[in-house]
Amino acid sequence: MKKILVLAIVLRVLVAAFLFHPDIKTFNFQASFLKKGVTDIYSYLIENRKTLPLKEEFVYFPLTYFVLGGYQAIASPVLGSGFDAWLGNADSNTAILNPNVFRYLLVLKLPYLILDISIAFLLLKFFDSGVMGKKAFIIWLFNPFTIFIIYAFGNIDIFPVFITLISLLLIKKEKLLLAALALGIAAGFKLYPLLFVPFLIFGGKSTKEKVLLGAIPFGIFGAISVPFLSQAFAQSTLISGLTTRIFNPGFAVGFGESIIVGLLLFSALFFGAWLTDKKPNMFNYWIAILLIIFSFSHFHIAWLLWIAPFVVILAVKKPFLSWPLFLLAMASVVIPLLYQDRSMTISLYRAYSTWFDLLPTPFNAVERFYDPYNLQSILHTIFAGGALTISYLLFRKEKSQ
Amino acid sequence: MIWLTTASVLTLVFVVPAVLASALKMIPVNIQPGYNSDIRLSIYKIRGFSQKFVAKTGNLTAIGTSIRNPNLKNKTDVIFSLYDNGNLIRTSILNGQNLEDGSFVKFVFPVIPDSLGKEYTFTITSPGAGPEETIEVFIIGEPEPTSGITEYTYEEEVHPGGIPLVSYSQPESKLKTINSVYSSWLSRLLSPGSQKSE
Repeated sequence: MKKILVLAIVLRVLVAAFLFHPDIKTFNFQASFLKKGVTDIYSYLIENRKTLPLKEEFVYFPLTYFVLGGYQAIASPVLGSGFDAWLGNADSNTAILNPNVFRYLLVLKLPYLILDISIAFLLLKFFDSGVMGKKAFIIWLFNPFTIFIIYAFGNIDIFPVFITLISLLLIKKEKLLLAALALGIAAGFKLYPLLFVPFLIFGGKSTKEKVLLGAIPFGIFGAISVPFLSQAFAQSTLISGLTTRIFNPGFAVGFGESIIVGLLLFSALFFGAWLTDKKPNMFNYWIAILLIIFSFSHFHIAWLLWIAPFVVILAVKKPFLSWPLFLLAMASVVIPLLYQDRSMTISLYRAYSTWFDLLPTPFNAVERFYDPYNLQSILHTIFAGGALTISYLLFRKEKSQ
Repeated sequence: MIWLTTASVLTLVFVVPAVLASALKMIPVNIQPGYNSDIRLSIYKIRGFSQKFVAKTGNLTAIGTSIRNPNLKNKTDVIFSLYDNGNLIRTSILNGQNLEDGSFVKFVFPVIPDSLGKEYTFTITSPGAGPEETIEVFIIGEPEPTSGITEYTYEEEVHPGGIPLVSYSQPESKLKTINSVYSSWLSRLLSPGSQKSE
């Protein structure tokens, strides 16, 4: 066990230190203002945009800012005196050629390592059977997908993913109110855990408990967000990312209206749980929601981490799904790598050499032979088909068991 | 599974950079010199631009610089002509349609094997463009040793300096390129004190 853990950590350290996505520098630059006493980062960045070297908005929710900023304050003796200058360096060439870049990357990704390993232990505890728990532990530690997504992309989604998994464990232990609390905290980092709340409500045994299960996560999320409510906050967080992509119109029904496919299926799942499921299995609904989101939205590769622990649990619970899940995982990772965005692929290797800027992206390489958008669409459609089948099987098997 | 993932990660970290390095068809010789984006010259019709520079590399195969194409109005040919002692030796043509405003543009041409230390002149023209379809190059007002620029001619007047250019050479061999990439990476990784906090 010890040897396996050491190997898992070594692999993660290698990817963490050498692969670089520019987002980690951007959001850590923004989080560095906490050390200077800035609490409302949303307004601060917009008000000081003209004088700041990096102009991007802070698109995450407040807990991300406070956790990253707090960690930076703790880690500053290790990061050294040149760290803040590096964060603020808008020249992408000199920043990446800084010899300290490997140390910075490793230290900045250290919290991810801690949470990543903790998730492995949570999965170990998730199963009543020791054999199944150990299998989940190994799959989590030794699947290339999460190592790549967490450490190459410097993925802050690990925070809500970790807390959401705790929430699922609490549901398993029938501590639903604590699970609701955990979802609210997770939403303080990123919004997506709130999508699970409508289904959590159905787990309540009385009307009072149902109301509390709905109110607690939104209440906690509100308590975290309300102090920052402003035009800047709405512009930076609510209007970006998930909220806009998930509600992308699907097909028109005339007069400017359209049916949003992802929301349609979400709604069908919700009403299905409400009207037909007397004892809803939260795990099935949560993973189905995520499969729907990934099937019908233009997702960021970092989002795939949301579903990763659930996929591991599913692969262990239903081993016959292991290979289909592996193939779908491959497709889902390849789709975003085909986006026309250098930082998703070639630029991850800029810490080795900036010469790689001269290489074509996979998008450009594919373009010479075939329409890359069409290839993305084909892969996404295949993924959606597989994902919907797995969702169907989840509920069909569940009811027949 | 453990060994498959271990092999995948080691490949990702140690082998993929070599594969990427071996795919490089050219490598930059210098970093683009800094420039003031307010100092620019317009190129259209007979108003061309001529630059003298000393090649800092053998196997010269491209010259890159930043070019403005305001409002993407220029959709005509932008012609790069390279001269050695007044003789036209290479030409590279791009279309304005492919020039994003302010983007870094490379004029690629067949390799010149014995280019190291030789003085060349190149011109950039856009004879098909009218005054409304002008493209603009940025100007540095003095010679710049790392890029090799010495002087430029604009509207028949000679001035010191020129455009902030990057020269590119064709790698001698894939193995040498891979070696250079890993050497640069390791030298930064192992540079004294780099992995210790100050």
